[in-house]
Amino acid sequence: MSKLLAIVIIGLLLVPSAAVAQDQPLDERILLTFVPNVQFAPFYMGIEAGYFEEAGFAVSLEHLQEPEVLDLVAVGQANYGVVSGEQVILARSQDRDVVYAFEWFQQYPVGLVYDSALNLSDLGDLRGKIVGIPGRFGASYSGLTALLHNANLTEADIELTEIGFNAPEVFCLGLVDAAVVYINNEPLQIQQLADAGDCGDVQAVAVTSVASQVDLVSNGLIISRALLDDDSAAVQRLVSSFAEALRATIDNPAAAYLASLAYVESLQRDDSLLKALESAAEAQSDFLSELPSRADLAASRADLADQLKSRFDAQTLSQFIILLNTIELWDADQLGISDMASWQAMHDTLQRMGFLGASPVVLGDAFSNQFIVAAE
Amino acid sequence: MQPQRYLGKPPARSRRKWLRMLAPLGTILLLIALWQLIVSLELISPILLPSPGAVASALSNALADGSLLKHASTTLEEMLFGLCIGVSFGLALGYSIAKAPLLESLLSPLIVAFQSTPIVAYAPLLVIWFGTGLTGKIVTTAIIVFFPTLVNTIAGIRGLEPSLTDLFRSLRASRWQTFRHLELPAALPIILAGLKTSSTLAVIGAVVGEFVSARYGLGALVIAARSRYDTPLVIVSALTMTTLALALYSLVAYIEWRILAWRRRPRT
Repeated sequence: MSKLLAIVIIGLLLVPSAAVAQDQPLDERILLTFVPNVQFAPFYMGIEAGYFEEAGFAVSLEHLQEPEVLDLVAVGQANYGVVSGEQVILARSQDRDVVYAFEWFQQYPVGLVYDSALNLSDLGDLRGKIVGIPGRFGASYSGLTALLHNANLTEADIELTEIGFNAPEVFCLGLVDAAVVYINNEPLQIQQLADAGDCGDVQAVAVTSVASQVDLVSNGLIISRALLDDDSAAVQRLVSSFAEALRATIDNPAAAYLASLAYVESLQRDDSLLKALESAAEAQSDFLSELPSRADLAASRADLADQLKSRFDAQTLSQFIILLNTIELWDADQLGISDMASWQAMHDTLQRMGFLGASPVVLGDAFSNQFIVAAE
Repeated sequence: MQPQRYLGKPPARSRRKWLRMLAPLGTILLLIALWQLIVSLELISPILLPSPGAVASALSNALADGSLLKHASTTLEEMLFGLCIGVSFGLALGYSIAKAPLLESLLSPLIVAFQSTPIVAYAPLLVIWFGTGLTGKIVTTAIIVFFPTLVNTIAGIRGLEPSLTDLFRSLRASRWQTFRHLELPAALPIILAGLKTSSTLAVIGAVVGEFVSARYGLGALVIAARSRYDTPLVIVSALTMTTLALALYSLVAYIEWRILAWRRRPRT
């Protein structure tokens, strides 16, 4: 009798706690690459504006190298990570069963920067030029290989030199004719050095983006196959909440910049800039209630950039401009979706580089659009 | 009748010597067995820890296609050049500081500040300053090996017994005679101990430089292998770095053994 009573009491105690547990947000860490940076603003927005919390997640962010992100997701030590598309193909060729669930960057972020006086409008003119690259790995190397292939060139036609992640300095010292860079960020830095007269004879830089030549799959959210099979509902909630945070960042970059302040120490915190951004974020919220089109929103971002440029110097504004430049790489009518053609183009590029072994990579298993909610 | 020592089992002293020589091999075999056991029991995913067999296969492939030799020889070249330059500067400056305390007052804050900053912090700058070729890596190596040599040279020269210095002075020995017959022999054990430390650090300097930017070298091989998810090749690269460091250490230890042979001779 006393046993039965004890079971009933324990049962009664467990019922409310189970109910509470369902209400408690689920701790989830998302593995990012690089270091905290304004380019990860959608994730900061997701946390600060409560998108993840509304979906039932208490998200924390960690920064690692791409291979570490991918391996930890593959072995189930983390559920979500962000890597570039070629990493997914390479990893799958080495038995890592990860699935790319959301294409965050709709345009490949890599390109070639050079002195505009060099007039490289035809990439065939790269022949014989010294080209700097962080190393013979990663998105930069894949992007350059695709660019060269598109121009009917090979690596042997140029003088390729490893420069680490020092493109602005190495370029401005004149050690290379062109450099493979992330187009949202480094050309801006080089242009600022040129404007200050610290970039040799360079007056203006020009950029040829990989995306302008070939559509390669880019950075996106990955999950493990095991998670996809075990809890696709949770994946759906997280992916959808990220899509909302991304859309909110694209629509209101000033608010996203302010949300990023808690995560990125290097962001400019000039009082007058923050005040300007606060009022811009408020005005943009009102504008959003009018349900503007994508083109109207792009115009509003351009207007904001012009207004701020008239009030603040380039250094103060640089991180905000990087955010605006990056938004151009994310924005699309339908966020998150990736298509087979871009995967195939990346696969072919990696094969040309000799990075894929004999066993075929089934591209259909590498990505899934099942979590993409159709845009209204 | 044959003396006892020529019969039956080898003498205990000889057996102990053999055991001592084989002990490291036993440790390595034990580690490999443990590693294989962990993999076989799937305690760690093979994605994170490949089997010894997979690593052996990666080693065999890298040796067969010549890539390992190319990368290892580049790293060794950087290590040797860096070691020569760093040790030369360390010896010269260490001796000067030991003899001129004013120089120590002038330079020590700078040297300590430079040494206490992790080399990875300024390695990217060295690439910008010295270019993306071998020079940047050699300078990185030279910097990392410089400090142990410097400190041990100062300690070795300053550790001389004052009575011996007084003796040489009373015999009116020239500066060169004092250096050649007193300071150098007395300080050598400590200087060579520093050189042994430097030789193991040389590989770190070279690889840090290669991590920043390189086409060849074991650091570049690690990055390339990691970016292709070839974990066995990463382990092969790391083991090759260890082998290079051990080989260089053993070489310095052998040189030490030969140079300091006089210390082992019984005094008559």
